[in-house]
Amino acid sequence: MNFLKRGLLGITRKKGKSLILLAVIFVLGNLISGATAIQQATVNVETNIKERMGALATIQYDYEELDQLSEEEWMEIEWQNIGPDLIEQVGELSYVKYYDYNMTNYLGSNSIESYQGDVEEVVHHIGPSMDFYMKGINYAPVLDFEEGKGQLVDGRVFTEEEVKNGSSVAIISKKLADRNNLQVGDNFTLVNEVYFWDYETGEEEIVASRDVVLEIIGLFESLTLNEDMEMDDGFIDWMDLDYQNTIYVPNAIVINETEFYYEEYIKADKEYAESIAGEAIDYEYYEPMFVLNSPEDSEAFAEEVKPLLPQYYTVISATDQYDNIAGPVESMSNLSKYVLIAAAIATILIIGLVVLLFLRDRKRELGIYLSLGESRGKVIGQILIEVMVVAFVGITLSLFSGNMMAGSISESMMKVDDQDYYHDYMYYGFNNDITTEDVIDAYEVTFDSTYILVFYGIGLLTILLSTIIPLVYIVRLNPKKILME
Amino acid sequence: MILEARDLNYYYQDGDMRRYILKDTSVSFEKGKFYTILGQSGSGKTTLLSLLSALDSPHSGTILFNDQDIKQIGYENYRRNHVGIIFQSYNLIPTFTAVENVLIPMSITENEVPEDQKTVAYNLLDYIGIVKSKADRTVNKLSGGEQQRVAIARALATNVELIVADEPTGNLDEEMEQEIIDIFKRLAHEHNKCVIVVTHSNEIALQSDQSFLLRKGVLTANE
Ligand SMILES: Nc1ncnc2c1ncn2[C@@H]1O[C@H](COP(=O)(O)OP(=O)(O)OP(=O)(O)O)[C@@H](O)[C@H]1O
Ligand SMILES: [Mg+2]
Repeated sequence: MNFLKRGLLGITRKKGKSLILLAVIFVLGNLISGATAIQQATVNVETNIKERMGALATIQYDYEELDQLSEEEWMEIEWQNIGPDLIEQVGELSYVKYYDYNMTNYLGSNSIESYQGDVEEVVHHIGPSMDFYMKGINYAPVLDFEEGKGQLVDGRVFTEEEVKNGSSVAIISKKLADRNNLQVGDNFTLVNEVYFWDYETGEEEIVASRDVVLEIIGLFESLTLNEDMEMDDGFIDWMDLDYQNTIYVPNAIVINETEFYYEEYIKADKEYAESIAGEAIDYEYYEPMFVLNSPEDSEAFAEEVKPLLPQYYTVISATDQYDNIAGPVESMSNLSKYVLIAAAIATILIIGLVVLLFLRDRKRELGIYLSLGESRGKVIGQILIEVMVVAFVGITLSLFSGNMMAGSISESMMKVDDQDYYHDYMYYGFNNDITTEDVIDAYEVTFDSTYILVFYGIGLLTILLSTIIPLVYIVRLNPKKILME
Repeated sequence: MILEARDLNYYYQDGDMRRYILKDTSVSFEKGKFYTILGQSGSGKTTLLSLLSALDSPHSGTILFNDQDIKQIGYENYRRNHVGIIFQSYNLIPTFTAVENVLIPMSITENEVPEDQKTVAYNLLDYIGIVKSKADRTVNKLSGGEQQRVAIARALATNVELIVADEPTGNLDEEMEQEIIDIFKRLAHEHNKCVIVVTHSNEIALQSDQSFLLRKGVLTANE
């Protein structure tokens, strides 16, 4: 008849009380189980989606902050570009896996045609259009390839030398190459034309022009065409076309062409030349892109970078948009958080009360065991066994039923929210196409081991505490006091 | 001298005043003897017994068991291994059977207990007048007298040398009362135990080897 055996016997000898305790734990357990299930699912969805959004970050003007400025304040802003020094300083932070900064420009061509989709359709141009998106890079292996936007299918990437020297080499898309019968090793020619629009005559004329000859060193294919997102509004097609006509070159090439363009333009536009007379013109305007080690680093990274930035700049992360598209999940998360807190408080109170009533009858018994010389620890142990075994059964039952409940509740709640949010938030800031729909799809009430552990943890701990506290309160007295009351 | 109390003081705080229940009380008990303690209701008999059995501690004074302070022995240890207590109100565990109640202290004590605890428990109950069919009943289905016997059997289960009993015959008719008293006498005289019994009854006191009277917080020999 040691305390373990007494505890177990106590459960069966007092079936009525055990059943009441079981029922109370089961009902409250369902609440907690349901809420934890939802909570857990929202956490999972967040990591899942953020993982898919990628660990990208960039530095941009803080448009929200600029929006709030008055006109006077606008006039006083000294516009500052983000220079390579700052970008490299940020790039050295421990959160950053690798980084790049890009200077971009559009150029046209007289000798090659842009890729306009698989349909062979003759596109007529009057003069060269600005179809080609020159993307200057500093990171030789090409960040877009490392991050899975594109994939090198032929030739090679840049060398550090080529990037440093601004060599006239380029990586173009396979589709663009095929269309123009170009291969790795071939040269092709783009043209940098400077237009000036004459106010008086209303005519546009070309005031300067020069050829840009580039050697193809590699071909890439786009990987971002999303099969299940092929919508008939042509939006994705447009995005993809833009990418097919992207030409990767070292940054210096783009800088040179931009410089040529502005210098020639200033020669043509006397008025403009006067208005900026004496000012040094900075042609370098980079868009930095940092790939972090993990999406979870985004916040810490932003915290550390912000103090380094000039005024009105801020850090934008790919995961920032999560809050925009995660509306339905967030509301589930909030709701479940409140339910969880309320349920936990209710559970502690109710279980505490039930256990207290349960113990009140047992108080004398506790005194008797103590008077027979049983140690306090074992007396507590005996009662804990009685309560915890029942609790364990109740929690196990409610684990399953609560999880089922959570599944059906979230299903119906998501359906309602679905319509409200889905079309409102599409955000293409980082060229990824994750939408609210993806978030909802990723949301799933699962039955994984973390969830089970968390649930048993919360449940058993709650009951343990609400049992131990009154027990210790009783048992700390000497046996005579316990027996007398 | 198996048990000795020296200068025990026990009081209840009554506002600024201390109401003494025991005041500088000293007393000693020997093995092989049957003692009774008499006293008016409210005189402090139960209080004294609870101090002697380490259910409570005195405000000052010492209790020696075999010349060792029970504080040193450890109250829990002392209760577990050296004293058997029979309460005025039985204090059995109501959800357990008579034999289970006797088995409980056997599992708690560190004293040597025979291998076959269950047989020993049944025999003990039988010796005290509880037959097997009753021994397997939960104790709340036994009469007051029967419960009293179970309580005595429980106190004997750990084979201790010291038995204290608080009005063990209060709920029994005269015939049963005498039976129980005979058991106590046998325990003292045949099994060499020290038996201390609190009682209201002068008749019982007359049958004891020595009787004390508790009055105004002091214990005196009752001649
Ligand atoms: N918690 C308490 N606070 C104040 N006084 C108390 C308390 N408990 C007991 N007493 C008093 O202590 C005194 C001794 O009580 P005790 O139970 O030892 O008496 P007793 O001799 O066993 O009486 P009885 O023969 O009726 O059982 C009594 O006068 C009682 O009123
Ligand atoms: Mg009394």
